[in-house]
Amino acid sequence: MVPEEIIKKIWPKVRTKHLFPELPIPKVSEGRENVALEMKDKQITINTAFYDKIAHKMGVEEVVEALLDHGISHYTYCPWDFHTHLRLFREAKRVVQDKEQAKRAAGLFMDVVADTHCVKEKKTPLPELYKHIDKGKVDAVISSLYQKIWGLDLCAKEDEEVVRRLSRIPYLDKKQWDKSIQKFARVIKALLEVEEEEDRQEGNQTNPMGEHGLDGYTLEEIDQGLRNFANQNVGLKEFKETFEDFKDELKDVGYGMEGGMGRGEGTPLDADLIYYMKLAESYSIPIKKVPMEKRGFLNPHSHCPWEIGRPFQDVDVWTSFGKIMPGITQTWNKIEGSTFGERESVPDCIIIIDSSGSMTNPRKNLSYAVLGAACASDAYLRNDAKVAVYNFSDAPMGGKAILNFTAERVKIYGVLCKYFGGGTALNLNELDPLLDAAKEPDIFIITDMKITNLGKVIGYFQNINNRITAVYIGENTYALRFREAMEKKKNMSFYNVTKKEDIPKIVLGKIKEYFRGNL
Amino acid sequence: MQNPFDDFRNHRTREREIPLDSIIQSRDRVMSQITKGYEKLLEEEVKELVWLVQYNTVIKAYTLAEKVVKEFEYKAEDIEEFCYELDSTDKIPYLITGPAGIYISALCNYAQEEEIILKLNDLKTQINLLGYRLPVGKKVAVEGNLGDFTGIGMEGGELVVEGNAKNYTGAGMKSGIVRISKNIGLHTGEWMMGGEIFVGGRVRGLGKIVDGKVYEDDKVIYPRNYRQSNAYY
Repeated sequence: MVPEEIIKKIWPKVRTKHLFPELPIPKVSEGRENVALEMKDKQITINTAFYDKIAHKMGVEEVVEALLDHGISHYTYCPWDFHTHLRLFREAKRVVQDKEQAKRAAGLFMDVVADTHCVKEKKTPLPELYKHIDKGKVDAVISSLYQKIWGLDLCAKEDEEVVRRLSRIPYLDKKQWDKSIQKFARVIKALLEVEEEEDRQEGNQTNPMGEHGLDGYTLEEIDQGLRNFANQNVGLKEFKETFEDFKDELKDVGYGMEGGMGRGEGTPLDADLIYYMKLAESYSIPIKKVPMEKRGFLNPHSHCPWEIGRPFQDVDVWTSFGKIMPGITQTWNKIEGSTFGERESVPDCIIIIDSSGSMTNPRKNLSYAVLGAACASDAYLRNDAKVAVYNFSDAPMGGKAILNFTAERVKIYGVLCKYFGGGTALNLNELDPLLDAAKEPDIFIITDMKITNLGKVIGYFQNINNRITAVYIGENTYALRFREAMEKKKNMSFYNVTKKEDIPKIVLGKIKEYFRGNL
Repeated sequence: MQNPFDDFRNHRTREREIPLDSIIQSRDRVMSQITKGYEKLLEEEVKELVWLVQYNTVIKAYTLAEKVVKEFEYKAEDIEEFCYELDSTDKIPYLITGPAGIYISALCNYAQEEEIILKLNDLKTQINLLGYRLPVGKKVAVEGNLGDFTGIGMEGGELVVEGNAKNYTGAGMKSGIVRISKNIGLHTGEWMMGGEIFVGGRVRGLGKIVDGKVYEDDKVIYPRNYRQSNAYY
């Protein structure tokens, strides 16, 4: 059993050594004897079974200190955040191809980096722990690697050629981690295959220093990590692939689950939606501030020394020790208080998006039309407005998806990401209920304008006074006709896009203009 | 105003030298030498606007490569790493597969180790001309596919490829053994004057062989069952 006094004694020392990481005091739990520690929501937990097994081989305080050094180094150095974790996993998978092997390779790499950083920069009993810990084949190779790169005797003698290759990797050079993990995975690939085969025969073996699952991250960190990952020039396909590899674990930690009580299976995590969601979130949009108003009352704000001639009623008796004496007596400075005024509302928004055959399928490739629409939705939602979606292909023939005004992102993105891939026609009667459901909603229409019932569409838009932004892709006779017919309408803005990549910027530029008008 | 960090000015964190530091330094130094050597070779070779595998071109390039690689010491792992550096192209300006293959062959031929293992499975480009003039007593084992002219002009030694090789494998080889675990392309053993080529998979076509032996799946296909050049079968 790990005495709690030891943790209490060691913890301040370890925290100081690691420059005061924001972690709660570690806990102790009855765990498996082959796993040293676990980390869940920043809480390090030392498994007593492991501790009891190793404690007679080295000093009890040393065991605890070494385990904490290991856990904290992961938190403060590698992987540091979920984005780095995903990146390392992706690079490893490029080499080993197999999901489980890539996770194992990434975990081992993170261990080597974190431990090596700790041994190089801090005084730590980690090497001693590695000397006594029970190891599988791969862990033994890693110990031999430590022996070579740390220059300490860890009583390890494994596969010299593999160790020699592994020792040439610049583990402490963060900029090279992507390349380094590829080399690392390439070298240990064969060992991982053997280990996987043995595991299948002998039952699951685990990393003695703990697995590197998603438990260690908070939901906000996971969210941020996915956002950064989507923005790091990863294509939709690669994002989807990596996301799918972590899908079960993400579900286990409760990511993407809507809050609330009740029963039911829950909504499955959709990699496409998450991708567009995370990309859209990273586009900057103005958040409408609530105006502040002066209320006319004076409130105590700060202290200043009392001087002869200043009114007594402002004296703060508590900080003046009951004395009226210049230099000792304190008076209150008072300032006029302010409070939140009433918010000027941002109108709701209807997004009309074309998903006909001539548009990019958002589930196969990055669709800038969908991304633009996602950015618009995000901007309106962040300003407490609601969004309705009319996704159309050949609407009169059923190629459509309609979503009434809502603030639920997942539902909005779900409809935006639908792809019909057929002809292009709008069923204008279906827009009326949406227009009636909100007070003068803004309208964004993103299309290539090759709409078969364009005449009716022009007539419809000519009769409404909502602010309409039409973003159309490419120049064609349909677009020209639409533009000529609508040019005199002051509530209408047109944007012809030649490069699809410009759609999100154009949409956001227009939204900023709208919002400024509302401020 | 006093700088609040003054008290820490002389504070040094505990940072000790570990063997990893010197290993990485030495690796970086060697890689820089190998890269510079390759650039030197390229400077000469780019003068030929189109690099063709011709007797004189190859000999000229190899003579220069030989001269360059003799100037520094390196290990087998450095050669493998250089192959990946060539592949990633962010450090090395351009990869011309001909001179690159000649240069890597020279590195293998002059390496200290007698046996060199190159794990090239994840290489995006296939290296041509690997194994050029491999001397007696040397063994080069490659994991991954190789390009054209694999093992050309071999002078002895053993070249083992765990994968495929393309056309003109073993062309002009004088002696030694080439083992290809999978398939090889056309003109196999063109102008081959000696040595043996063992192929685990299929030989797509034989070249004009002068002397030597070619085996397909342990069966002699040259000289016993002589077939027309590049006959598909």
